[in-house]
Amino acid sequence: MTQALYVINLLLPFAYLLTFLFYALDFFNEKNLFTNSKRIFLFITLLIHISYLLLRTIEFDHPPITNKFEIFSILAFAVSFSYFILELLTDVRGTGAFIILFALIFQVVSSLFIENNYIVPDVLRNRLLGLHVISALLGYSGITISAVYGLLFLVLYKNLKSSRFGLIFNRLPSLEILEKLSFNSLLIGFVLFTIAIIIGITWLPTAFPNFSYSDPKLIGTALVWIIYGAGILSKFLANWYGKKVILFSLTGFILAVLSLILTTTLATTFHSFY
Amino acid sequence: MNLIGITINHNNSPIEIRESLHLSRNEIVEFIPLLKQVLSEGVVISTCNRTEIFGLPITYSLNTSSIVETLLRYKPVKETKPEFFHKYFSCGAVKHLFKVASGIDSLVIGDSQILGQVKDAFEISEDMGFTGPVFHRLFGTAIKVGKRAIKETAIGEGAVTVSYAAVQVVEKIFSGLDKKSALVIGAGETGELAAINLKDKGISKLTISNRSIERAENLAEKIHGEIIPFQFLNEHLHNFDIIISATSSENFIINYADVASAVKKRRGAPIVLMDIAVPRDIDPDVRKIDNVFYNDMDSLKIIVDQNLQKRRNEIPVVEKIIMEEMVGFFSWYNTLEVVPTIKSLRNFFDEIRNDELDKIKNKISEDDFSKIEDMTRRLIGRILHNPTVKLRELAENGNDIQQVTTKSIILKELFNLNSTNDNGKNIEEK
Repeated sequence: MTQALYVINLLLPFAYLLTFLFYALDFFNEKNLFTNSKRIFLFITLLIHISYLLLRTIEFDHPPITNKFEIFSILAFAVSFSYFILELLTDVRGTGAFIILFALIFQVVSSLFIENNYIVPDVLRNRLLGLHVISALLGYSGITISAVYGLLFLVLYKNLKSSRFGLIFNRLPSLEILEKLSFNSLLIGFVLFTIAIIIGITWLPTAFPNFSYSDPKLIGTALVWIIYGAGILSKFLANWYGKKVILFSLTGFILAVLSLILTTTLATTFHSFY
Repeated sequence: MNLIGITINHNNSPIEIRESLHLSRNEIVEFIPLLKQVLSEGVVISTCNRTEIFGLPITYSLNTSSIVETLLRYKPVKETKPEFFHKYFSCGAVKHLFKVASGIDSLVIGDSQILGQVKDAFEISEDMGFTGPVFHRLFGTAIKVGKRAIKETAIGEGAVTVSYAAVQVVEKIFSGLDKKSALVIGAGETGELAAINLKDKGISKLTISNRSIERAENLAEKIHGEIIPFQFLNEHLHNFDIIISATSSENFIINYADVASAVKKRRGAPIVLMDIAVPRDIDPDVRKIDNVFYNDMDSLKIIVDQNLQKRRNEIPVVEKIIMEEMVGFFSWYNTLEVVPTIKSLRNFFDEIRNDELDKIKNKISEDDFSKIEDMTRRLIGRILHNPTVKLRELAENGNDIQQVTTKSIILKELFNLNSTNDNGKNIEEK
């Protein structure tokens, strides 16, 4: 089975590359040659990826969340899977290249540096931790997709304001749809984030003797959660529109990424397993 | 094939001549009986940019002057010149008709209306008994070419008028117009076109404002919209997601402050302003306001030019469709010559067989007669198999109608198929 895992690990970046190329070609070529085939490629890539993650779980007897590069692979899967569902639900097919690019980068990093850990701390075999990590990762993929759509919104907004009617104008969906996609991804990301936080707050104190509410990672995550929550409330209560919502989502995303980088690299925390 | 096509269109004649020779539906109905004196089948297509006459002459002559004279007798025009009338014959006429139906010969390439106009013209001729099997097939194929061009190519895609381009931009801002409200300022031709385009796109609420209240009311009635008195225009701007202005005003009728105030009242909700008037109606500085999308004629013209270029790029693809359909049409047409010949040949042999069978019917037993009957049927079937198949193949695959005609004539001559009574019955008697 290790041999099979080795092969799939090599295969996955190429599968994502091929899918990305199909989506990119379809975006730049106005003839819509790959409108259906690109979705099939994404589906096949997702099937290979889920098989890979399951095989890893069976082979190593723990969910693939024990090192950074397993996490990267899950993140690649979560981003592309969330996009796949979004595409199926909305039938907006022109934006895939921008999202799959993230999945491709995550998977390349994962495939290059992934380690096979047979022996891991017991806490990493815990199912609640698995649920906590996976919901947090899905939450991150939600806000990543939201940020990508937010960026696309801003690019199209700028094009429309300056009356530039090129490729962006022709190939992207309307501003209203981009805003909706961005906000809905944000909303889903926020819900999953909340689930991850609830599991974390209820289970972490029992699992870690050195647990502390003043932990930098906890504070950073709570801040990001509060900012996103306030933004979502403003949208619903104060009827925020367009650019304001998008700028808010992008700011939240930048803060989330910064908080993640700072708390995992600079600060000492119990909340680090690798 | 002795098909003739005569065309007066935007490529070969000035607008005055095209206007003078334009035939309304009623005029076509009056004109067809005159054409019947020179044509056995025919169709007259007349739009604001072209008048086309397609027909099969009663005689085998391809003289077009009688058709042109008939037209000029019906619609006398003083300053015509021969070069205003382009003539096409046979294959050229078929190709021209297919080009017209597909929209690649239109003034605005890919014009979607022309296909309907070709259909209507054919229906008039059909109703007046001026079409036969050839024109049924010809116009059926022309309509198929038009439909394929729309379905398989991008010849009809994209906005090619400024008012439609305005709607295209609006669709890049809002996902659907079914919950949006629009205001059209100006009830002239451009304003009306913009209002109709918005209506066609399913706009939820459409309002008209015009200096002359009567014209606003007329247009509002036409598109089932509402009106706002022109003097109160600026007080209502915030109620609309889309504002299209097309008046002949010399000064701005919507200023920066008006839009800024409207956006404030809308609490930042996007507002689209399309200024399709010359000189402009809306202060272009409004584009600096957040969530305000402003476009004027110049910027919308960019979209129109891009789309026209895209349509021009599709012409070779449409021409390929035309070629495919022409091959199909002429394959069918060529079989017209051979089908009666094959039928006559088979009848000729069957008659001989029946004559000979009659002669022996009472001389042999029923059982033997039945065997001979079967044997002769098989015999004739085998004798005629190769000539039938070859002739059919030649007609279906060959593009040389002359060759098909020559072989048909030789067969008819050799077996004297034109004479119904001469099947060699009396040879023995002679």
